[in-house]
Amino acid sequence: MLSYALKRILLVIPTLIFVSALTFVAAELAPGDPIQIKLGERATPAAVAQLKHEYGLDRPLLVRFGDFLWGAARLDFGRSYFDTRTVRQILLQNYWPTAMLAILAMLVASVVGIFLGTIAAVAAGKWPDRLAVVLSVAGLGIPNFVLAPILVLIFALRLQWYEVAGWADNFSDLGPYLVLPVIVLSVRPLAAIMRLTRSSMIGVLSQDFIRTARAKGVSWTGVVVRHALRNAATPVIIGIGSSFGYLLTGSFITETVFAIPGLGKRAIEAIYQRDYPVIQATTILFAAAFILVNLAVDLVQARIDPRVRLNRDGATG
Amino acid sequence: MKRTNVIAGLALCYLVVLVLVAVGAPLLTKYTYDQQDLSGRFLQSNKAHWLGTDNLGRDNASRLFFGARVSLVVGLTVVSATLIFGGIVGVIAAMRGGWVDTLLMRVTDGLFAFPDILLAILIVGVAGRSSLTVIAALTVVGWPSMARLVRGQTLSLREALFVRAAQATGASQPHIVFKHLVPHLAGICLAAAIVDMASVILAESALSFLGIGIPPPAPSWGSLVSTGREFMRTDWHLVLYPCLALALTIICLNLVGDALFERWDPRKSARA
Repeated sequence: MLSYALKRILLVIPTLIFVSALTFVAAELAPGDPIQIKLGERATPAAVAQLKHEYGLDRPLLVRFGDFLWGAARLDFGRSYFDTRTVRQILLQNYWPTAMLAILAMLVASVVGIFLGTIAAVAAGKWPDRLAVVLSVAGLGIPNFVLAPILVLIFALRLQWYEVAGWADNFSDLGPYLVLPVIVLSVRPLAAIMRLTRSSMIGVLSQDFIRTARAKGVSWTGVVVRHALRNAATPVIIGIGSSFGYLLTGSFITETVFAIPGLGKRAIEAIYQRDYPVIQATTILFAAAFILVNLAVDLVQARIDPRVRLNRDGATG
Repeated sequence: MKRTNVIAGLALCYLVVLVLVAVGAPLLTKYTYDQQDLSGRFLQSNKAHWLGTDNLGRDNASRLFFGARVSLVVGLTVVSATLIFGGIVGVIAAMRGGWVDTLLMRVTDGLFAFPDILLAILIVGVAGRSSLTVIAALTVVGWPSMARLVRGQTLSLREALFVRAAQATGASQPHIVFKHLVPHLAGICLAAAIVDMASVILAESALSFLGIGIPPPAPSWGSLVSTGREFMRTDWHLVLYPCLALALTIICLNLVGDALFERWDPRKSARA
């Protein structure tokens, strides 16, 4: 277990470097000069050169990449082209709503998804199962930016239960602002997790040891909760990990729709302005979060399922 | 007939109608998608405008029909590029093995480190907004999973008896790839392509919704939702039509793709 864990953790470093390199190169290859855009059409060449020097853009490519990597490792992405704050300040001030929405949506999606998926599997072929299948098809098919206006129309404009959009600085006032974004963000992962739980559970429930446990007199609920769920967990945990990526990119849409001052909304604004340092920083931060969550998923999986670490160890080492 | 097949059949019918609407869009309406009429804004459905008009007096039906073109053209282009590029990489990785395989698979690993469409957002973000950028960005995001799928399938096919037999009779590598592998890969690749097409159409409309996708005045369904949302309080039907069109299209593509997967995937399971 330890050697598997160590190998898996070390693999994170080259992946992060690859992600940073690609992010750096993307901005390098981009057409148009952000400094020119910032200063406007009529800026003198001297002024452009001066500002480029201030941002360090006149140094050789490799030097700048080395600098970029070293900066990224310390969460230092220099100054925003259009904001008076440094990129690090922007990140620190805007990450919290994004993280909170992602965590809440993940919790809702996992708990509700596993619960509904289990019920569907136990009732396989009957109406709760049919309903669950229909719901998962719909949940995976309805885009979040389609769902958001519909929910706002019903629950915010007509019923006025929740706020249309916005955010509160005070944690205690956040409730009405949180409900709709969390629902919008969690529907797709919820559908995916429900679907995975269902198919995984159906496979496990048909196995011999389930029948044995029942024959020994374990109650049906006990069998499902203690025997089946544990054995059906692996694909579900992988599903939770890959859904997390969607929660990050989903924040671009949810935060824009609900006017939430998070990183997703800030990044979209940066794209409109071509504020490369902010775009790069958000990309790397999101990718890093995704990589770390998947590292955690792999380790948890190896912990509960010895086949994973043994197989992978054999294959890679 | 199985119930799932009936449902997939219905979904396929919707998709056929969608293609016909996209192709025949100019015949179906007498307006173009960008023809403005400021004296007839926010009209309800009537004889002249089946689905009413939008905030600039443009015909909603035309915009919806021409929007189908945008979705399908972007979807087909990206998926074709993904199939070709991912297919070539996958087959080369599996047939060559060794360091070529390792290198190609490490690259796909690296690209998988970017969640969902984050890489596409980065590319569009730095390269600026154009149809070509969107297509290129979504291809970059899409090819690694296709390459993985093709590689995996090729690896198991490579050991199949008929491939061994062909090798034993001295068939050349290209002959084996095109005469023996490609026909066996076609089914599952088609299934994957259709499911991919759903996510490409979804991604394109999401980018357009955010204002970083297909540039106006091209009527991407994503842009239509975005415009409709602004006038939701007074004219909710503006947002309703593109929402319905998008959701139906994506659901139907998923249903058809899943049915094909069940038919072609040896493990008989749809992808998660």
